Amino acid sequence: MKFILILFAFALAAWYLSYSATRLDRLHHRVETSWANLDGLLQRRAAIAIEIARSEISDPASAMLLTFAAHQAREASVRDRSQAETGLSGALGILLETSSHISGEIEKDLIRELRELTEKIKMAVAMHVDAVTRTQLVRKKWINRIFRLAGTAPEPVTYEFEGDVL
Amino acid sequence: MPLSKKRIGIVCPYGWDTPGGVQSHVRDLAEYLIDEGHYVSVLAPAIDDENLPSYVTSAGRPISIPYNGAVARVLFGPIAFSRVRHWISQGNFDVLHLHEPAIPSISLLACWAAEGPLVGTFHAAAKRQKVSFAVIPFLEPVIEKLNARIAVSEAARETLTEHLDTDAIVVPNGIYASLYRDGKLDERWTGNTIGFIGRFEEPRKGLSVLIDALPAIITEIPDIKVFVAGPGDSEDALKEIQPALRSRFTFMGRISEEEKANFLASVGLYIAPNTGGESFGIILAEALAAGASVVASDIPAFDSLLGHGEYGTLFESENPQDLAVKVVALLKDSVARKEIAQRGKNYAQAFDWDVVADKIYDVYQMAMVGGNGVTLSSENRAWNKLLGRQG
Repeated sequence: MKFILILFAFALAAWYLSYSATRLDRLHHRVETSWANLDGLLQRRAAIAIEIARSEISDPASAMLLTFAAHQAREASVRDRSQAETGLSGALGILLETSSHISGEIEKDLIRELRELTEKIKMAVAMHVDAVTRTQLVRKKWINRIFRLAGTAPEPVTYEFEGDVL
Repeated sequence: MPLSKKRIGIVCPYGWDTPGGVQSHVRDLAEYLIDEGHYVSVLAPAIDDENLPSYVTSAGRPISIPYNGAVARVLFGPIAFSRVRHWISQGNFDVLHLHEPAIPSISLLACWAAEGPLVGTFHAAAKRQKVSFAVIPFLEPVIEKLNARIAVSEAARETLTEHLDTDAIVVPNGIYASLYRDGKLDERWTGNTIGFIGRFEEPRKGLSVLIDALPAIITEIPDIKVFVAGPGDSEDALKEIQPALRSRFTFMGRISEEEKANFLASVGLYIAPNTGGESFGIILAEALAAGASVVASDIPAFDSLLGHGEYGTLFESENPQDLAVKVVALLKDSVARKEIAQRGKNYAQAFDWDVVADKIYDVYQMAMVGGNGVTLSSENRAWNKLLGRQG
């Protein structure tokens, strides 16, 4: 009887460990995909920013600012990324505020594309932030720390976007 | 919209044959996506397997349980679970859209059984319940599988943040705004009239609040009339009303979509005195789109839908005196009434399916990044291997 109970306890523990590992793995996967999605959108935004800088919309000063911010955003490491992107958001924000008196079809298209992209980026940020906080939360659980169930997966980086600028 | 056609699976937790907000949302969304050229399959509980639209698969007969102040027709259990698994493994979906995955029905089962791009939509807005403390540890690992969460209103989003500590993207429910845009004035309903649509027998729809407010309204506006549309036993309802007031009420039963558009365009005021349990208020969005001037209780869902009073008038919920004051003020000032109705009508275009479905599809696309379609979850696979079953 005792033997069966111990066996049962072991089986339960094994199941719970494997279950927790699967859960963590899935969460890390979620962080990766939501990041891939956000990264793709941000790359597109940087490309549009450079296009805008080269177009008729920008005066030389804002063209310089935009190009600089866009390149910085593209080249930033993951940890510095949110800061660089916030810089680009600021530069684009100034432009969008004054975008009401823009003429020319190509320019209007660019601005519209930028606005649509901004909406999508907002959603992607929300999805990514949620995945990251969730993962960090589950990683902190004692069972996951003691048994190192996260393995070698890197701790996800918190991404801070200033919501009002975007 | 999309260049590539996708295979989309949608799970509806409530019985398909019973009318309800979630069901009509799922139906409209599925039909919209099919029109766009996607392959859509809906899994829902159903009483009558025979008369389902071709895109709906029945998961079995729903069970009636009391939930959130009403009777919910949901479905769970081992047979339902195996049907859900079968549907997922046969469907070969690119993305799975689960409605109300936090209530005990097949959406939750599907969330548990599936792996891959999952999107969840949360409709309900409820106050924190004590039970949820006990349920959350079981729910959390399941809900966190969703790649993206959608809430249909700010109220639903707050509920989600409070209960499950996770954020959501707000995408409102959709309406076919074009159906309501051109309602014709019908003389039966114009003048000093009040319109009400809904299952008036349900206490939370709040018809009794309106009845209590009526005497005060009559003293100021003697020729006021009330028109009530919606399914229910009107004789029973009339018995509840004091005899002196009975002549003011007309019960019309169920009305067609076209009648509804005309009705909403014609009535002096549309009143939604709901006392709670509402998460979005699709009928309010329709009333706004039809150009009705709306008076609604200030429950969270209506408050956010009406922009805190910008697009319709709010009164203190369950307070007949306040309702009477607001109704009288509006009926006496037709300029203000028309202004607010016009603002509401413009604003309601944002709920049109063209806008809403596009947004939902954007969320699908984000969830699908890097995914290879929906499969049965690995836990289930391991479990099945152990039992020698086929997935």
